[in-house]
Amino acid sequence: MKRTDGELILFWTLPAVAIIWIAAFFLFPGFVHPMSPSMSAEQVAAFYRDPHNLSRIRYSMILFNWFCVGLIPILTLIVMQIRRMAHRTPIFSYCMLGIMAAGPTLFLVANLFWLLAAFRPERNPNLTQMFSDLAWVSFGSGVPFLIAQSVILALAIYLDRQSRPVFRPWVAHFNLVVAAALAPAAFTGLALGGPMAWDGALPFWVRNVAIALWIVVMGIVLGQAIYRQRAEDRQRVGDRVPA
Amino acid sequence: MSAPATEAVSPLEAPSGSPLHRIAWHWRHNPKRELWLAWWTIVAFYQLFFLVFFVLTRTQPPPSPGWDVARVVQWFHHNHYGLLIGFGIMFLITGMTAPSNALIAYSMRRMSVSPAFAYSYLVLYSLSAIPGMLLMCIALTVGAMRPDRDPELISWLYDFAFLSFVGTMGVFLIGSLVWMLAILLDRNRVLPKWFGYLNLCNALTEIVVSPAWIFKTGVFAWNGLIAWWIDMVVFGLYTGVFIFLLRRMIQREGFGTGPLPDLAPTKETDPSALAETAQ
Repeated sequence: MKRTDGELILFWTLPAVAIIWIAAFFLFPGFVHPMSPSMSAEQVAAFYRDPHNLSRIRYSMILFNWFCVGLIPILTLIVMQIRRMAHRTPIFSYCMLGIMAAGPTLFLVANLFWLLAAFRPERNPNLTQMFSDLAWVSFGSGVPFLIAQSVILALAIYLDRQSRPVFRPWVAHFNLVVAAALAPAAFTGLALGGPMAWDGALPFWVRNVAIALWIVVMGIVLGQAIYRQRAEDRQRVGDRVPA
Repeated sequence: MSAPATEAVSPLEAPSGSPLHRIAWHWRHNPKRELWLAWWTIVAFYQLFFLVFFVLTRTQPPPSPGWDVARVVQWFHHNHYGLLIGFGIMFLITGMTAPSNALIAYSMRRMSVSPAFAYSYLVLYSLSAIPGMLLMCIALTVGAMRPDRDPELISWLYDFAFLSFVGTMGVFLIGSLVWMLAILLDRNRVLPKWFGYLNLCNALTEIVVSPAWIFKTGVFAWNGLIAWWIDMVVFGLYTGVFIFLLRRMIQREGFGTGPLPDLAPTKETDPSALAETAQ
C-alpha cells in the first residue's frame, strides 16, 4: 500500500520557514527602515554601535544564517514537479538544481558581512562601512539566481505540453513578471540615492515584495500539484486492483 | 509528445520566413528545443561575458597587482561607470550559467558512464559562479560606488576582487577532470577523445595560475604572461571548442540509447525528420 515518501512533510516546513524569515526580516533594524547608502562612515558605525540595534542585528542575522537555506527543500520539491513535466531531457531540472544551490549561498555572503560588521562595532568606522557596503551590495544585487530561477521555471512550464500540465500557464506568466520585478535590483550599485539605491523603491521594496509574493504563490500551486499528484497515484492504484 | 502527430501529415520543414518566425517554429515543433535553448544560452552568455569583462569594466586583461594605492584609486576613478554598469549586467545574467552547466551535465548523462559524473560536474560548476565571478562583481562594485573611501580599503577591495577571480581554482580544476574522465571512459562516442585531453589542458591552467597568490609582478602575477595570457588563450580555445562540440552533439542526438549516431547530413540537419521518427 501507500508508503510515506516524506514530500508532504518537506512541503509543510514552508510556513515555518516563512514565519522565521518574516520575523528575522522585521527584527533586523536595517530592513524596517532600510539603511541609506548615502550615510557617512560615522553614521554607519553609529548604527552598528547603538546597543539597541546591535543585538537585533546579531540575532536576526544568526536566524537568517540558520534558515536562509531553509527554502531549499521546497525548491527541491519544485524540481520533483519539473521532472513530471512532459519534457524530453532533464535540462530544466538540472538547471533548477544548480540555481537553488547558488541563490542562498549568495545571501550567506551578505549575511557573513553583516555579522562581521556587528562583531567589533568599535572598529574604524571606514571598515564597518565597507563591511556594511559589501553586505548590502551582495544582498541588494544578489538577484541573478532568483531571476534565472523564475525564467527557467517559466520556460519549463511553457514546454510542459500535456493535456493536464503540472502547473498552469499563468504560473509561467507570473514567474516572468517576478523576474522583471527583480531585474532593476541588479543595477543598485549605480545610485546612492533615489528609487534605484539599495534602500529605494525598485531594488528594495519591489524586489522584496516580489520575492515574498513568489514564495506565497509558488507555495500554493506547489501544494496543489503535490496533492493532485498523490490523488492521481491513489486512483491509479485503485484502478489496478480490481483488474 | 502528442503534438507532432498532426504535423507529420503536412511537410515538417522549418519555414524560411523571418528569424522570429523560424524561432517560433522551433519552439513549437523542434523535439530538441530544450537542448537548443541551453546551447543558445551558452552562446549568448559568453558574448555578454566578453562584453562586460573586456569592454565595459576593463577587468580583462587585468590591471596590475603591482600598482601602488594611488594608482589603484585612479583605476577605479577611471572605470567608475564601466564597472557599475558592467557588473550590473552580470548581476542580471549570471544565472545563464545554469543552462550551460546543465547541458554539459547532460552530455555526461548521455555517455555510458555512471550518472555520478554528471551530478559531480553539476554541483562543482553550480558553486563555481560565486567565488569565481560574483565575489569580484561585488567587491569592485563596492570599490567603485564610493570614490571617497579610504584608499587603503579601496586597495584591499581591488586585491579581494582579482584574487577571488583568478585564484578560485579547485572547482574548475576538479570539474574539468571529471568531464575529462567521463569522455575518456565513454563508449557512446558523445564527445571526441581528443577533447578529453583538452579538458586536461584547461585543468592545468588552474594549477599554473596558483602562483598569482604569491607574485605581484612578472609572468606569474595575476596579469602575467603565464598566469593570465596563456591561461586565457587555453580557456578561450577550450570554450570555443566545447560550444562547437555540444552543438554537434545536439545535432547527432536521436534520443535513443547506446552510441550516439553520426551526423547523417540529409536527415540529421532536418529537425522535421526527427520529429517524425520520434513518434
